[in-house]
Amino acid sequence: MFEVIQNLGLGFSVALSPAVLFYAFVGCVIGTLVGVLPGVGPLAGISLLLPATFGMDATRAVVMLAGIYYGAMYGGSTTSILMRIPGEAASVMTCIDGYAMARKGRAGAALAIAGVGSYVAGTASVVGLMVMAPPLAAIALRFGPPEQLALLLLGLLVLAYMSSGSMLKALAMAALGLLLGTIGIDQMTGYMRFAYGVVELGDGLGVVPVAVGLFGVAEILATAGAPTPPAVVKPRLRELLPSRREWRDSAWPIARGSVLGFLIGILPGSAHIIASFVSYAVEKRLSRRPQEFGHGAVAGVAGPESANNAATSGAFVPMLALGVPSGPIPVVMLAALMVHGVAPGPLLIQNQPALFWGFIASMYVGNVMLLILNLPLVGVFVNILRVPYPYLYPAILVFSILGVYAVNSSVVDVWIMLIMGVLGYVLRKLDFETAPIVLGVVLAPLIELSLRQSLAMSDGRYSIFLEHKIAALLLAVGLVLVLLNMYTFARRGLDWRARIALAEKGEGS
Amino acid sequence: MSVDRLSGIALAVLGLLVLEETVRQRLPLGSLANPGPAYFPGVLACLVLVAGVALTLLGGSGPRFASLQWSEWRHALAILATIAFCALALERLGYRLTMFAALAFLIGYVERKPLAATVLLAAGLALGTFALFDTLLRVPLPRGPLGF
Amino acid sequence: MMHRLACLALALLAAAVVTPVAAQDAYPNRPITMIVPFPPGGVADLTARPIATAMEKVLKSPVGVVNKQGAAGAVGMQSVAVAKPDGYTLLLALSSISIIPEADRLFNRPPAFTVDQFAPIALISADPTVLVVPADKPWKTAKEFIEDAKKRPGQISYSSSGIYGTLHMAMELLSQAADIKLRHVPHSGGGPALTAVLGGHVDALASGPSVVLPHIKGGKLRALAGWGDKRIAALPDVPTFKELGYPDAEFYIWAGLFAPKGTPEPVLAKLRATVREAVNDPEFKSAMDKLETPVTFKQGEEFQRFFDADAKRLAEGVRRVGRVEAK
Repeated sequence: MFEVIQNLGLGFSVALSPAVLFYAFVGCVIGTLVGVLPGVGPLAGISLLLPATFGMDATRAVVMLAGIYYGAMYGGSTTSILMRIPGEAASVMTCIDGYAMARKGRAGAALAIAGVGSYVAGTASVVGLMVMAPPLAAIALRFGPPEQLALLLLGLLVLAYMSSGSMLKALAMAALGLLLGTIGIDQMTGYMRFAYGVVELGDGLGVVPVAVGLFGVAEILATAGAPTPPAVVKPRLRELLPSRREWRDSAWPIARGSVLGFLIGILPGSAHIIASFVSYAVEKRLSRRPQEFGHGAVAGVAGPESANNAATSGAFVPMLALGVPSGPIPVVMLAALMVHGVAPGPLLIQNQPALFWGFIASMYVGNVMLLILNLPLVGVFVNILRVPYPYLYPAILVFSILGVYAVNSSVVDVWIMLIMGVLGYVLRKLDFETAPIVLGVVLAPLIELSLRQSLAMSDGRYSIFLEHKIAALLLAVGLVLVLLNMYTFARRGLDWRARIALAEKGEGS
Repeated sequence: MSVDRLSGIALAVLGLLVLEETVRQRLPLGSLANPGPAYFPGVLACLVLVAGVALTLLGGSGPRFASLQWSEWRHALAILATIAFCALALERLGYRLTMFAALAFLIGYVERKPLAATVLLAAGLALGTFALFDTLLRVPLPRGPLGF
Repeated sequence: MMHRLACLALALLAAAVVTPVAAQDAYPNRPITMIVPFPPGGVADLTARPIATAMEKVLKSPVGVVNKQGAAGAVGMQSVAVAKPDGYTLLLALSSISIIPEADRLFNRPPAFTVDQFAPIALISADPTVLVVPADKPWKTAKEFIEDAKKRPGQISYSSSGIYGTLHMAMELLSQAADIKLRHVPHSGGGPALTAVLGGHVDALASGPSVVLPHIKGGKLRALAGWGDKRIAALPDVPTFKELGYPDAEFYIWAGLFAPKGTPEPVLAKLRATVREAVNDPEFKSAMDKLETPVTFKQGEEFQRFFDADAKRLAEGVRRVGRVEAK
């Protein structure tokens, strides 16, 4: 314990030095900008600034890049809440309840809760990183394809909780999303599936154009020409802050989101964006007022936003403790380290204590900076809602196209966004949920690959899932959950969701 | 015809189309122990098919398709056309020109805002976003034939 | 008013006529774009950026790196294959440039591009791959590994960055040279492939040396042999497969600079001279040292020979792998 404090002291002395502080700040600002821009996520931001770091010293470089990463998670909630456009793929869940809160005039509250939740999660997970990095990383390494598959199947169960209407329709959308996720090169055999000669589709549709299209563009298509333009909500200063009740409602979701996000972030190969989806489902399951979800439940914003931020710190665990990247963003950060002559690997923490502890300390500092940056900006951002929609939506469209194009410098992505926009628009009219599609597009390639890799590892025997203890355990948990659900379903007769849906339909028609 | 029933039929048709495509593209199915490229999409297509059929059968009650409002379709079409134009022109005309034209079209023509406001906003956003992202953040944005 | 317009039009016309002439003898007079068809942080990217910076210094004109990733490099490579051959679009490709068209042909797809759509400029680095196994596996030498593989065909598993990718082809070349059968577990990139072998989920990996060096030094992985012509500088005790009697197991993850075919000869010559100077730039050298990637500079005839031989080897390898039919 004493050692940790000593090391932290070393870390803070590094982190609070003016140069490092400056770069952390720059990273946070750029990260927020990148996060606010629809489509362009932290990966694009980090990769674009990687060359700029070549001239800097290693600690500053990595501090700045990390700042961009978790800064983007703060900024991503802004457009999600204000305009129902995901700032980056991980903010898709915030679009649902965050935007609903904004429509109710609680945009400021939503932004503030997202900011505070991000701060708490970010800081708490850095503590986790600091204290438990090496042992956690060792456990993370034991997650191979069978374990990943078990976890992803559990993630699929999440879909059951995403619907606020008809379960059948949500499942249909999930199946559709999963199907769309199979487009591209089959990674096990090299066959091209459903790409029809478009090379850019080789890696699949891409979650960014799909998310921005289904949520952002569809929203614009539906609202822009509406006979009555959306009411411009003029929030007052007092209404900017969350009420006491809202704070209370967000406390536990923030806590749960932090833990959940951190754990998911640690695992190599998991898509960290699942963290926000899973958090949403958990919150909905545990909530005493599940019917609020989809219509402005505070927990639906607090949980996913916290999970996002915690996942970013979690992603650093294997990277720093073992030199193993757990996703594409840590790959770039490891490259940044390598370029500066710092060899990532199991001995990094020992050989470069100043770097490691300086990095940790700067994450604490960075989170504080972001909180200070974002909270007053809530007032500024909320004023965006005052801009009349006919002027606002063209601007949003420009940003969306820019963001989607910039990810891969590819016009094909813009086309995908357009097509998904049309799809989202039509689905809205037909009363289908679109969030399960995004989850499906993300999960499908991962699930298929993990399953086939596991079978390749075991030469075709399904018993590998029983032999690997962790995988077996996770699958058992999943099975128990499914059975529990079917039991409650059968007992209650009619699912409360269907009851609500029927009641709503009765009112409507 | 209720909305749900129609959607159900559409989904079922989609499922069938995908199944047919896997056969036409001659994707090997493989076996349970060694699934091929057609396995997963095949299973999913079946699920979509089943969901579609279920929706068709159960979705009889519910709002009628004819009752759906599409009143904003003209607007939506204009927006879609703008996006399509951007996709086509972005790499040919360059970012700034494309965005200026797109914005001018949307604000000036579709939304019928005054000329001054249109030009100002369109130019401002096109040039401003370019400056912010290409110059400052080094996001490479395409330049057209005039270097624009 | 009309007078002024006429003057303006004349001036523009004059400018338009003069400019191309001026452009011809002042290459480069615009920023050059170097396309890297792989995601940022990877081998190609980390080689491209220092060389771009070094070239900038020599040319006194900006050279920008753009990542255009997708389909294991096919997207970026295709975009340069069809780009205007004016010398302002270059490609930094890895050895997979020879593999992708062959793989396309295997599946009876029209190839995304063909190797002869490019004019080679220079080779910049050529890292031989190295065979690593988790430290707790029983094989201490490559010989033991190969013998065990012969005894248990199809039982020893290895990961790779993707099917028909560089790491897969390296292993395949070994399997064909040593006449052994291994079990392939493709992963979605070099990072996941490394994680798999570190976690003991697979038995082996053919990897570029720089990413595995820290793990070898840290005792988590053991290097058995290298696919190069010579031993790897950072691993002097690790023999090459050539020494062990498998000369056909030669594989390099090399990075080379290409331009679209049809780029005028003077421009190509200027680019070659630029790269020759750039690789001697001290900053470039130190950047590559930090990456533990030795600079192997080849140009002109030498590069063409290397490239042709490598392409032939890989094409043959891909054909022999054939389609991985679901059995």
